[in-house]
Amino acid sequence: MKKKVLATLLATAMTVGCLTGCGGGAAEQPAAEAPAAEAPAAEEPAAEAPAAEEEAPAVEAPATAEEGTDPVANLIAATTGTVTLKVWASEEDQDLTTKLLDDFKAAYSDVTFDITLGAESESTAKDTVLTDVEAAADVYAFADDQINDLVNAGALQEVVANYTFDVVNENATGAVEAAAVDGKVYAYPMTADNGYFMFYDSSVFSESDVQSLEKMIEVADAAGKKIAMDISNGWYIYAFFQGAGLELKLNDDGLTNTCTWNAAGGTDVAQAILDLTASNVLVDMSDEDMATQIAEGNVAACVNGTWRAETAAEAWGDNYAATKLPTFKAGGKDCQMSSYSGYKLVGVNPHSANVGWAMLLAEFLTNESAQTARFEARGLGPSNLNAAGSDAVQANPAIAALAEQAAYATPQRVGGNFWSPAETLGQILASGNPDGTDLQELLDTTVEGITAPVE
Amino acid sequence: MKKTINSILRHLVLLLLAVVWLIPILWLFVTSFSAYKGINTSHFFPEDWTMDNYAQLFLRSDSIVQYNKWFMNTLVIAIFTCLISTVLVLMVSYTMSKLRFPGRKSLMSFSIILNMFPGVLSMIAIYFILKTFNLTNSHIGMIIVYSAGAGLGFLICKGFMDTISVSLSEAARLEGASEAKIFWKIIIPLSKPIIVYTVISSFLVPWGDFVFAKLMLNSGIATDWTVAIGLFNMLGKSMINKYFSVFCAGGVVISVPISILFLIMQKFYVEGITGGSVKG
Repeated sequence: MKKKVLATLLATAMTVGCLTGCGGGAAEQPAAEAPAAEAPAAEEPAAEAPAAEEEAPAVEAPATAEEGTDPVANLIAATTGTVTLKVWASEEDQDLTTKLLDDFKAAYSDVTFDITLGAESESTAKDTVLTDVEAAADVYAFADDQINDLVNAGALQEVVANYTFDVVNENATGAVEAAAVDGKVYAYPMTADNGYFMFYDSSVFSESDVQSLEKMIEVADAAGKKIAMDISNGWYIYAFFQGAGLELKLNDDGLTNTCTWNAAGGTDVAQAILDLTASNVLVDMSDEDMATQIAEGNVAACVNGTWRAETAAEAWGDNYAATKLPTFKAGGKDCQMSSYSGYKLVGVNPHSANVGWAMLLAEFLTNESAQTARFEARGLGPSNLNAAGSDAVQANPAIAALAEQAAYATPQRVGGNFWSPAETLGQILASGNPDGTDLQELLDTTVEGITAPVE
Repeated sequence: MKKTINSILRHLVLLLLAVVWLIPILWLFVTSFSAYKGINTSHFFPEDWTMDNYAQLFLRSDSIVQYNKWFMNTLVIAIFTCLISTVLVLMVSYTMSKLRFPGRKSLMSFSIILNMFPGVLSMIAIYFILKTFNLTNSHIGMIIVYSAGAGLGFLICKGFMDTISVSLSEAARLEGASEAKIFWKIIIPLSKPIIVYTVISSFLVPWGDFVFAKLMLNSGIATDWTVAIGLFNMLGKSMINKYFSVFCAGGVVISVPISILFLIMQKFYVEGITGGSVKG
């Protein structure tokens, strides 16, 4: 009898446990999907619940701007009480954003604001926002590769109107494209420098040396220095395969990938990476290690982005230089290394109680003077055409290198299944293919992983 | 001769294990005194030593390092959780161990089984439940989460109370003591070692927790964070090179309160084990 009771209890408990488990998963699902259903409604706030009603004239106001009324004045007129906004900016951007928020409050001093600033890295914004879109910030910064998922989850308010400046025409075309999905703009471009290129110490390499990776390795070897690149990272290893003309792109469904890395010529690229790293001069190194090794003087050149410019400039002083990525030899011919170009964007959460003000604030954080200030404070490349055209920006070596690389760069549009197979491939190649796997087989496995369907 | 060799071998194995176990902690400790702020894997010991990381931790708060605030948040959450959980655990243990009522056995088996399911499974559900009560991003919500299920962890404590002779509570009952009186005056004083254990283990849950804290405190506002989230945040790829040694210092400091708690509690721990109340 007792055993029976225990058995029943055990079974019940397990079922309950399962239900809890499933329940958790199910609870997450609607959280991510529900807003998607609401997204169209958010575009027409007039049809929304009473809470948004107050905002209705605000969002629609710019549409009537052609009739000669000032949208900002309309917004202010439509606002009663305190405007509460939550903003997320990356840790490095906190000081600047705090200052910009103060300016914002001062610029619209007729309105009482309660703006809180939180810290959230642009690179992880998507994960945090999608955990619970409703609880996410009203205005947040993110990297452009996350835009598809954010739009699918209804976490971005379409930029239906502008208050203070023309977002589409005042920013670089590439940046606006990166901020758009299916021709609709969903975010405000903030920086245009989320790509990578080559930093080098000009006391070790001459300008002609840095044209080819083979030459660079030769020179670095003679000088007893290393060249660093994060090869075991899909973001960087892409440079080799894309450079050799092999393809990796996101399918129209926005989730799965098409990849031809295992097609003819693929093994040449893999072999080239093996040969390059075999010298032990081109080393696979994470970004964090690079910072240390550059400072210690072991690394004389590295493939990295503007965020490492400060470290490199400090360590190499007057010899600090940057340029486009070099060429490498694959299958006997020189291939120009490609790269990803990326942008950082500011998005507005459609669940915000003050969508109108959130949009105005997003404009304020990404307008010409904010972008100029961001460049001056942190050396980030502006996406705003006027800000990017200034002499100071043009003279910045890292940004000049990025512009040079731009001709060979492609925007980062790739499905989530790309990263870990590419990382594994990078690790195997960078460690010299220790198991001696047939390269074609290795690439086939990688491509199979990259192109795997998403449930 | 053979004995000596055996002994040497045994000690070598122990030494090896000790080294394996201590090296990471030693590295954390020495790195916390490093003048170089990033990760330096080419030296085990820092090249230049400084106390600056600790100074930065406590004296120079910026948007990234707000250690005092985090420390206080964590301490408050941990202390309240510790108090509530300890009381709950002791009460449930007493009930299960000393009282007899219908369904006691099945209730016990049920709660033990329930307690075996990892709490993280219900994490998302808990998040949305608390969100409806507006308790996310609040320390009260965290305290509720950490201490709510504590009563289920009565097993060890109940096992200890089972060893306290029934004749003691029977004697008290004959003298006319209520259950509450028996609990507070007889059982609790005899359960010191297990109380110490319960206090320490229930203090450690919120003190070291990362998963729930990260899920619950999702506003991104650094002053709300606990130490675990704050320290994790320093390891972000853009910050790790400026804050890694500060992170290590934070890691060293976090072990201080728990050590103090153990030192205070240790006295009772020893006392409880050696003291007896029923002879023969």
